[in-house]
Amino acid sequence: MSHIVVDEDRCKGCGLCTTVCPFDLVHIAEHFNAKGYRPAAQVDPKGECTGCAMCAMMCPDVAIVVYKTVRVP
Amino acid sequence: MSSKILMKGNEAIAESAIRAGCQAYFGYPITPQTEVLEYMARRMPQLGRVFLQAESELAAINMLYGAACAGVRAMTSTSSPGFSLMQEGISYIACSMVPAVVVNVMRGGPGLGNIQPSQADYSQMTKGGGHGDYKVLTLAPSTIQELVDHVGLAFDLADEYRQVVFVIADGMLGQMMEPVELPEMRELRPPPAWALTGAKGRPKNIITSLYLNAPELERVNQELQAVYRRIEANEVRYDTYLLEDAEIAVVAYGTAARIARTAIRRAREAGIRVGLFRPITVYPFPYDALAEVAGRVQEMLVVEMSAGQMLEDVRMATCCRVPIRFFGKMGGIVPLPEDILAEIEALAQGKPALVAQEGA
Repeated sequence: MSHIVVDEDRCKGCGLCTTVCPFDLVHIAEHFNAKGYRPAAQVDPKGECTGCAMCAMMCPDVAIVVYKTVRVP
Repeated sequence: MSSKILMKGNEAIAESAIRAGCQAYFGYPITPQTEVLEYMARRMPQLGRVFLQAESELAAINMLYGAACAGVRAMTSTSSPGFSLMQEGISYIACSMVPAVVVNVMRGGPGLGNIQPSQADYSQMTKGGGHGDYKVLTLAPSTIQELVDHVGLAFDLADEYRQVVFVIADGMLGQMMEPVELPEMRELRPPPAWALTGAKGRPKNIITSLYLNAPELERVNQELQAVYRRIEANEVRYDTYLLEDAEIAVVAYGTAARIARTAIRRAREAGIRVGLFRPITVYPFPYDALAEVAGRVQEMLVVEMSAGQMLEDVRMATCCRVPIRFFGKMGGIVPLPEDILAEIEALAQGKPALVAQEGA
C-alpha cells in the first residue's frame, strides 16, 4: 500500500504538504516534535494514497519519504 | 556575479553577514533562529574568524559589545525572549556609540510564548527597548533576498552612524526557503581610529556608557539625538505596490506585507482599487511618505502579526485624516491571504472602518 513517512524532527509544520494532497490525506498532527513544531502526518484509513509524491515535492525541508506500491501486471 | 541559490532564511542571514565582513559572531541557540548559529559554527572557523556560543543571550550581547569596541564587524542574532534579555547590553552599546548588528527572528509572545512567527517585538525594536533615550535603526525585510541585502546594509549603516542596527525578521522568514543572489565576499575592514586596539604610540581611546557628571551625560545624549535626526533625515526606506490609483492603502511590513501582497493582487482581480505601503525601515518610520498617501486614499488597512503596535505609528503619520481599519493576528498565528482579502472587501463595501484592537 502506498504511503508516506514524515521525518518528524525535520518538519517545521509549515503545512505546505497539506495543501497539495489530491485526496486531502496529509494533516498537521496534534503532538509536538523535538523542536516544538507540530509535524505533518498522514491520515489514510481507506488506503487512498497513490504515492503521487506531491507532498514530498512540496516539502521545503525534504522531510517526506514516499513509498509507492507498484502494481505488477 | 554569482547565480541564484536556494537558501533558508536563517542560513542566508549568516552567509550574508560573513560576506559583509562579519569577523565575530556571538549567540545562544533559540528557535526559530538557531540555524544562524549552526551555520556560523561551521563557516566562521573555516575562515579563521570568531564563532562563540555564549552561555546566555546576556553574555552574547556583552561579547558583541566588546568586539564592537575592539573595532571589528560583529553580530549576534536571537529570537524574542532572547532579545528581551539583550536590552541592557543594547542600551550600553547605543550610549557607547559603537557599531554592531543584531538580528531578531521574532516568535510568539509574551513570555516564553511559542516558536511560531510573530511581529510582536515591533515597539521594543523601534522605540528603544532598553533604558534611556536611544533608538535603533531597524530594517524590516520581507523576502529572503531582502534579508540578505539588509544584513549587508545593516553593517554599513552601523559603521556610518556608529550605532547598533537591527534587522527585524520573524519565524516565517527565518524558516522559509527562497532563491537568493548572494553578494561577493567583501574585504575585512581595518579597525576604525576610535577602536580599542592598544594605545601604544597614540593617545588612549575611551569607550564608556558611564557619565557620572550630569552635564557630560546631557552632551552625550544631545550627540545621540543628533545622530537619530541624521538617520531620520537620510535613511527612511519604504516600498509601494499598486498604490498609484488606489482608494484603499494596506500598510504592512515584513511577512505580513508579503501576505497582504497576495490579497491585494486578488482584490485587484475583483476590481477593488487597493495598494500596499510597506515600510522597509520601521525606525525611522516613513511618516512623511505615509502622510502623503493619506492625502490621496479614502481608507487604510493596517495588517500586523501583533496587536496594533505599528498602528500607533500609522495613526501618528496620518494624523487620523483617513479612517483606519486594523487587522492583527497574535500568538504566532499567521494571517491567510483570504483573511486580509475579507478585510479589504469589507472596506470596499463601505463597512465602518473603525480602529479595532482585534484579537481572534
